[in-house]
Amino acid sequence: MSPDLATRADSRSSHITPRDHGRILRLGDDLAARLSRAIGSTGRVHSVFARAINVEWADGRLLTLHGPGPLRAPFAAAVERVALLRAPRPDAPVIVEPGRLRLPGLVLTWDEAAPIGCAIPAPPPGLDRAVVDTLRHHGTGRATGLDSPRGVAARAALAGAIGSGDAARLVEAASGLLGLGEGLTPAGDDCLVGALAVLHAIGHPALVRPPTPAAAIARAAAERTTAVGREFVVHALAGRFSEPMLTLLRARAPLEAAEAARRLAGLGATSGMDTLAGLRLACLAAA
Amino acid sequence: MAQATVVKRGAYHDSVALLRLARALRTRPGVREAAVVMGTPANRDLLADAGLLTEEARAASSNDLVVVIEAETAAGAAAAASAAEPLLARGGRDTARGARSRPRTLAGAARRTPDANLALISVPGRFAAAEAHTALTAGLNVMLFSDNVSLRDEIALKHRAIDGGLLLMGPDCGTAYVAGVPLGFANAVPRGDVGIVAASGTGLQQVACLLAARGRGVSHAIGVGGRDMSAEVGGLMTLAGLDLVGADAATALIVVIGKPPAPEVGERIRAKLAAIGKPAVACLLGRDAAVGTRGPVTTVATLEDAATATDARLAGTPWQPRPFTLAGVDARIAVARRGLTPAQSKVLGLYAGGTLAHESRLILESLLGPVGSNLASSSAGGEPDGDREHQILDLGADEFTVGRAHPMLDPTVRVERIARAAGRPDLAVLLLDVVLGHGAADDPAGDVAPAIEAARSTARAHRRELAVVASVVGTAADPQGLAAQTARLEAAGAWVLPSNAQAARAAAAIAGPEAVRATLRTGGTA
Repeated sequence: MSPDLATRADSRSSHITPRDHGRILRLGDDLAARLSRAIGSTGRVHSVFARAINVEWADGRLLTLHGPGPLRAPFAAAVERVALLRAPRPDAPVIVEPGRLRLPGLVLTWDEAAPIGCAIPAPPPGLDRAVVDTLRHHGTGRATGLDSPRGVAARAALAGAIGSGDAARLVEAASGLLGLGEGLTPAGDDCLVGALAVLHAIGHPALVRPPTPAAAIARAAAERTTAVGREFVVHALAGRFSEPMLTLLRARAPLEAAEAARRLAGLGATSGMDTLAGLRLACLAAA
Repeated sequence: MAQATVVKRGAYHDSVALLRLARALRTRPGVREAAVVMGTPANRDLLADAGLLTEEARAASSNDLVVVIEAETAAGAAAAASAAEPLLARGGRDTARGARSRPRTLAGAARRTPDANLALISVPGRFAAAEAHTALTAGLNVMLFSDNVSLRDEIALKHRAIDGGLLLMGPDCGTAYVAGVPLGFANAVPRGDVGIVAASGTGLQQVACLLAARGRGVSHAIGVGGRDMSAEVGGLMTLAGLDLVGADAATALIVVIGKPPAPEVGERIRAKLAAIGKPAVACLLGRDAAVGTRGPVTTVATLEDAATATDARLAGTPWQPRPFTLAGVDARIAVARRGLTPAQSKVLGLYAGGTLAHESRLILESLLGPVGSNLASSSAGGEPDGDREHQILDLGADEFTVGRAHPMLDPTVRVERIARAAGRPDLAVLLLDVVLGHGAADDPAGDVAPAIEAARSTARAHRRELAVVASVVGTAADPQGLAAQTARLEAAGAWVLPSNAQAARAAAAIAGPEAVRATLRTGGTA
């Protein structure tokens, strides 16, 4: 059983009365595997938004539930109706049962959900020319935090680290970006995730050559950014990304890549643009 | 100066709400700065850099929301701080919800207003196609203001609209006039006998305003979306729009505005115009526009020429394009050049209107050579990163509008760019557009005028001048008032020309070598 989902259901579960039922339509394959290993564990509703909720497990890791459509995070599950997500309140218990999640007033079944591959496959598939060309035209807009002197320096450090192929420099540069800037997922985290996507896709030596920097960056993320930002970074270190990001990375034609970049840019307030900024930075630095 | 801090432990709000909150707080009386960030170590460093790291902020943790307000008085800071929480509860919006119930779906709205025959859809792109299909199902014509609608969806929607005898204007249709009703970003222009079909919002606005200045009005103006004339879409809605204005008894002349169509689409448009037989003016902004009249169609190279050629054809007078319509332009250019150093030779265009930016780029390229731009098919290869070339930036493009409103509404990006440009020792001319009308900002000239003044002042501090050249797309009847907006810009030191094309030529004449001025003096319109 996965230790992160292994906490036993506590006594609060006996007070949960299901009122509404819904289906999870799609979820990341890694998340599906984790849920399967975690029957009986309990989490809590961490945060509630207009169209999504986050669930936090005992180890601080997150699951995002949002409405139908592409998975906006590798740790996300898409439910059939966004209205289902209006019932849960912060701190409400969430219990993993066979084939379903149980929340106060809500049961979500996941046994028929389609598992979505959110990982960049091995060996690294590389990036099509269409994607590289598209990134030349996108990713120049970004949150103001990334244009602050610290943001500029952190981006320059990341570009330098990628250019050098030095894992230690990559850790240092990542630390400079973590938690930097606007947003619940700070802009620096988004930028770093974008850069990591490129590094995974091309199998960049700074990321894959032992000793790899993943553990050190994950430790820095635990200390330096928000819970949501950390979750994105930890998954990115493992090569797992949102569907809009993967759609862009997999594009093989200019129109397809441009459309994917536009969709990615539209995520969040500046998150999509900040992610594109990271993709572009890594593309240029690696070249 | 006083500061107030709000720290909300473990508070999670989406990023859009946080950005809205910061912006709403910055606009409150007496507030100098407002920072809204998560309390991560890096953000605490940013706050320290900005002089905003209060004791409360210093003690925050990564999952705490930190709001720091700096205001002229302690009372002002406290008032803004106390407003933060209620604002956040409304998703950062600085307006209370109206009490009147509003329909929650398009179908519900259609049921409530059975006489409606048009739906204006402005929702995030990924939902827009579904809403447009709903509207078509309800028998409504559609103005699809949303962008980021896929090409496949656009084609499907347009075929469906044509099958149902309906219009699908858009996607990314910013402006239209239907039977005298302005939709989207639209100026107050009179009704008249000019029918317009346009794949460009600000292009349509420029032509309609210049026609209004000549006493001409618009019968209908159909926006078709920027991709309609592509090979993929095949000009579906352009042709449908031409059918509409062609059959309209109130339309005496048809104007078509856009970028160069795909060859086969251009053929269909020409055939359609010939079949309609009404006089027509085609303004398809490209490098190789064959200016002149063939059959019923006069082809022009600029938006201003579209208006002047239309006016001349309706009046039955000869038409000739002119580089400038003002008197004393040479003297004004000479004055503008007087304070420039030998190093100042570049033009930077910061545009709210995408088509106006495109037009300026074409004019500058023809007079000055390569121009860097974030516009598609830039001669200098995409978004310019460096400051060593002529640049035209469309600040309404996706990369500049994420998380904030279009620059016609929110001047933040342009003001920042103007301030940055002031430090460039090679920059001779700052070229701007200001777009008035319904839907635009309340005081767009006033929004940028302080930045213009500050930029010119910065340049003077470095012992050089910075020429600022602008045009205002608007009419005397617009809510903001053309004369007042022009006066505000001129008071800030800008030279305001009657059209975007003239402004671009003036910019080239100021920044360029003597040969450019000679070309323009001899009537070359570029």
